[in-house]
Amino acid sequence: MKQYIIRRLLQMIPTLIGISIIVFAISSLVPGDYITAQNNPNMTQEKAQQLREIYGLDKPAVQRYFIWIGNMLTGNMGDSLVHKEPVTSVMNNYVWNSFIIAFFSLLLAWIIAIFAGVFSAKFQYSFFDKIVTLLVFLFMSLPSFFLGLLLIKTLSLELKLFPVGGMTTAGLNAEGWAYILDVLKHAVLPIIVLTMLSTGSLTRYFRTSMLEVIHMDYIRTARAKGLHERVVIFKHALRNAMLPAITLLGFELPSLFGGAIILEKIFIWPGVGQVYLESISMRDYPFMLGFTIFIALLTLLGNLLSDVLYGVADPRIRLK
Amino acid sequence: MSVIDVAKTDPTAGKAIKAPASPWSMALRRFTRNKLALIGFIILVIMFVVCFFGPLFSPYELEDYKISMKNKPPSAEHWLGTDNLGRDILLRVMLAGRISLLVGLISTTISVIVGATMGSIAGFYGRVADTVIMRITDIFMAMPTLPILIILGAVLSDLKVDPKYRIFFLMLIIGILGWTTMARLVRGQILSLREMEYMQAVDALGIRDRRKIFRHLLPNTVPIIIVAATLSVAGAILYESVLSYLGIGVVPPTPSWGNMISAANNMIDFRKRPWLWIPPGMCILITVVAINLIGDGLRDALDPKTKK
Amino acid sequence: MKRKLSIFLLTLAMFGGLLAGCGGGDEKAADPAPTEQGTQNKTDDSKKTDDTAKTDDTAKTDDDKKDDAAATDQNDGLFPASDPASSPAAAMNRKDTLIVGMTAPKGIFNPFYGETAYDQYVIKTLFSSFLEVQKDGTYANSLADKVDVSPDGLKYTYHLKPGVKYSDGTPVTVKDYVFALKVFLDSSYDGPSDLLSLKIKGGQEYHDGKAKDISGVKVIDDNTVEVTVLEPQAMTKNDLGTVYLVPEAYYGKGYKQGNTESIKALNNKPIGSGQYVLTKYAPGQEVDLTANPNYFKGAPKIKNVVFKTTTEETKMAMLQSGETDMDMVTVSEDNVEELISYGFLDVNIFPTNGYGYIQFNHKLKKFQDLKVRQALVYGLNRAEIVEGVYGKYADVINIPQSKVSWAYTDENIEKYEFNLDKAKQLLDEAGWKVGSDGIREKDGEKLKINFSATADNSVVNAIIPIMTQNYKELGIALTSETLDFNAIMDKKDKGDYEMFFAAWGLTPDPDTTIFITNGAQNEMGYSNKKVDELMLKAKVELDQNKRKELYKELYQELNRDLPMIFMYQRRDMWPINARVKGFDLSPYKDFSYGLYNVELPQ
Repeated sequence: MKQYIIRRLLQMIPTLIGISIIVFAISSLVPGDYITAQNNPNMTQEKAQQLREIYGLDKPAVQRYFIWIGNMLTGNMGDSLVHKEPVTSVMNNYVWNSFIIAFFSLLLAWIIAIFAGVFSAKFQYSFFDKIVTLLVFLFMSLPSFFLGLLLIKTLSLELKLFPVGGMTTAGLNAEGWAYILDVLKHAVLPIIVLTMLSTGSLTRYFRTSMLEVIHMDYIRTARAKGLHERVVIFKHALRNAMLPAITLLGFELPSLFGGAIILEKIFIWPGVGQVYLESISMRDYPFMLGFTIFIALLTLLGNLLSDVLYGVADPRIRLK
Repeated sequence: MSVIDVAKTDPTAGKAIKAPASPWSMALRRFTRNKLALIGFIILVIMFVVCFFGPLFSPYELEDYKISMKNKPPSAEHWLGTDNLGRDILLRVMLAGRISLLVGLISTTISVIVGATMGSIAGFYGRVADTVIMRITDIFMAMPTLPILIILGAVLSDLKVDPKYRIFFLMLIIGILGWTTMARLVRGQILSLREMEYMQAVDALGIRDRRKIFRHLLPNTVPIIIVAATLSVAGAILYESVLSYLGIGVVPPTPSWGNMISAANNMIDFRKRPWLWIPPGMCILITVVAINLIGDGLRDALDPKTKK
Repeated sequence: MKRKLSIFLLTLAMFGGLLAGCGGGDEKAADPAPTEQGTQNKTDDSKKTDDTAKTDDTAKTDDDKKDDAAATDQNDGLFPASDPASSPAAAMNRKDTLIVGMTAPKGIFNPFYGETAYDQYVIKTLFSSFLEVQKDGTYANSLADKVDVSPDGLKYTYHLKPGVKYSDGTPVTVKDYVFALKVFLDSSYDGPSDLLSLKIKGGQEYHDGKAKDISGVKVIDDNTVEVTVLEPQAMTKNDLGTVYLVPEAYYGKGYKQGNTESIKALNNKPIGSGQYVLTKYAPGQEVDLTANPNYFKGAPKIKNVVFKTTTEETKMAMLQSGETDMDMVTVSEDNVEELISYGFLDVNIFPTNGYGYIQFNHKLKKFQDLKVRQALVYGLNRAEIVEGVYGKYADVINIPQSKVSWAYTDENIEKYEFNLDKAKQLLDEAGWKVGSDGIREKDGEKLKINFSATADNSVVNAIIPIMTQNYKELGIALTSETLDFNAIMDKKDKGDYEMFFAAWGLTPDPDTTIFITNGAQNEMGYSNKKVDELMLKAKVELDQNKRKELYKELYQELNRDLPMIFMYQRRDMWPINARVKGFDLSPYKDFSYGLYNVELPQ
């Protein structure tokens, strides 16, 4: 196993190099640059030229790639053109905010989905199963902003339970526990929406693979042995139904840090999703490239994680 | 092998090692006997028929607009009301369905075919094949989607591709970007299935690889593929509106369900004008449910373990 | 199986139930207009980054625009709160804090580098300059006691008010002004301002590193500085006068000619002599400011001001819940009605400083014919487009100038009201005859037009259907495509387009390079000798009344010659909680200038 992990980690190097080349090529093919994105009606040709020289945008793409990759290797991701500060510190400013809601909703979504999926499968076609199925389809067909607006309208504006948006109460400057409570209060609505969105599909996966497993012979054997139904379901059946879930768990790693653009806009959550979107529309290449590589790295690690977990869940799987 | 033959041998189908009938033809028979799946299929057909032929019976045309009639609630004249340019919502929902149904189904089909094939090859052969295919999926998953789509939009524009046909590239792109999930899910399943006892039996029989994959492994991954595909249809339909935002989706005035809904994404339309977003939302919901019914039917039909 | 079908039906029923739940209680008014998403602002608002750069001297007020607005048709000015007492407790309980909602600034609170309008808001509260813009678009003394201009317009002498201090206690001197000019002219300076274009004597030499000082800038004493320029321009006095003074001792510590890195490092640690002092910046969340008790115009009346991040999606909900006191909301009939209905908001509406346009590619033969251009304008129902998107809160325009600018004119301006017959006639005259398939043709060439526009923009979503139908009737085959904003700008730079729609901001001064032959922003290839001549004359003319005449003539010529389709000028809207008193807003003077005068009466 250890050998397998080491080999996979080594394989990441060429993969990352490939990704960096493709991503950089994409960024240089995208029409426009930071100067055109500003659309300043008063900028003279000379000023634009001068700025391109300072930002190094006038050099050929190949040369720019090597400058960029050289800096990346020394841990220098460059300065964001929009924020005028190092890419790493911009990321640090926003990524953790995204992480807070992503992490809590991940926890909630998985817990809810496991129970909902298992019981849906166990009591297939029951009333409970129907309600779950129905909610899943409903959330799937409704874009997240409708869920968000619905919650804001009812819970914030009418019942005044939660603030509409933001991460902290403006001007409060709380510290310690008061600060944590304040953030949590603001985080409730975005976490609910994100949980609703991701629970739906997870539930379907759990339900399906549980349905598969529940009819297997060994489950019947386990029951015949007189094992408690709870043990049968959660120990024997669930473990074998986890495989697709493990694959999905691997995908969650990048999404923990990737931000959720629409949600961040609705709840005015200072997450990294909006910042990334803006870096694309403003052609802020240092940030766009840096963040893309960061997420790429997490994607690779997430996939590695799920491959390793396959072996844990099903010892018969031999990874070579 | 005819349907009737299969029916006769059916009772023994599950346990026999030398399968008396191809699982696929058995599946077809099972599927047609599954009323619920048929209902789903019929709903989907009706959706298609209404969307493709309905507009012919509408008194309005795609290009019609009437500012003085903007944002009217449903009435005898406009059964589903009008939008902000006074256009008939009913007509637009039907026209939008043409785009959205095609986007959802075609792109999902692409990602299922590519994903299932790649996933099963990787899972079954392991070693080099697995490494290569999985690193390709890694790279695909790491690609920044939005910039790629922006480039695609610009390139299609530079090549002077008629905006009407750009939608087909869109379906292709959504499909291509979506296959990686499918591939990893299928591969994960196959890694486990490969080690099952029945596969040792199959090995012992010396069956060819292709047959092993398509007859013995893939059918067992169908349930998970169905779930992923159902989710992906809904996802693709909604995703189309994101692409319109970047300029490679449909071009106005042509509507799609996704962009009809996202045109109403503000508190005021949400509260005051449900006729703007409920019809397209309903259509997506019905489509997804119908596909899911078909999917469940397919799963029951294809699952070698069910013994109906 | 029946059970499964019932799931399906139940699902549909739930969906219906959701709609009933959402619509409940609000289904009264079904008439009002459409809505706009934030993207249009990309071309419109956030681009107006630097309104300190260009200035002018006299202007007329926008008051005369309000006379004709009958109560029911009012589309401009102030809509006062009907029930100030209904303000939510959350807002009423904030006794000493004003919360302004706005798009997140980037944290560049540095007068040299701030780019977005939102960073500029912060900068304007933290720093001050010799001159400051007034409500009517003219400039008045701020840090300056007086300004002398030599008769030939080449020498400008600024006299600094004595005794002004920075928030760290150090005195403000004109040496700080000289330092600021040096930074702006430095070769490594990559901020948005372009002081080189003012042609300060010795500026180019300093930029090129050939001189250690700017020869045209002379410090006479601690409170007097004289700047010499190489050529007179109408805006020089204001452009030089709106450079912010920053303490050299602080910002200049690590500065060496040719290296401005150390100044950039102070982006979020500002020290200035403005109304407020920065106390906290939480990226993407808020900017906290506290009053500068030593502000030279008097200590601000509100102790704390917070600039809180809001987004287009929910800024109205934030106002409604009292989480913000004021914000800028995109204008539309829906939004105005909604905000007025809250009852506790004073809603300020005034024309925005910018306009929407459709550009022709003048390098293409078909657009070189004036008759074709005129036909395309007569044949496009601009009034309906505006009505469909903004209702009464935007006007169709026929010249590229704000109706509140001193340079605006409606004398002898053709209105180009929608007239298909006239458009057809013009096309016939131009030689484009209707062919057998209904499409016009000339010399075997079909009249086809390819129209590009930004994707997901409510204006574009209205333009394309209306234009498609209008032009179809004219016998023009129109194909439309929607693209990412930058992709359009790229096409514009490459000249690879036929017509495109965009919008941009106006500066208080009407001078621009958009219509000058080979002008910096004239990628469309427009050339008109008369326009070039008038533009140049107006740029160097110092007498305001003469300039006004020149611009009148210029706009008449542009109106006749139609270099582009002038589309509309919309409104800006600032709803402000009625508990806040003392704002005096105009298209030129945004809220940040007068913050120190604003109060929260208890």
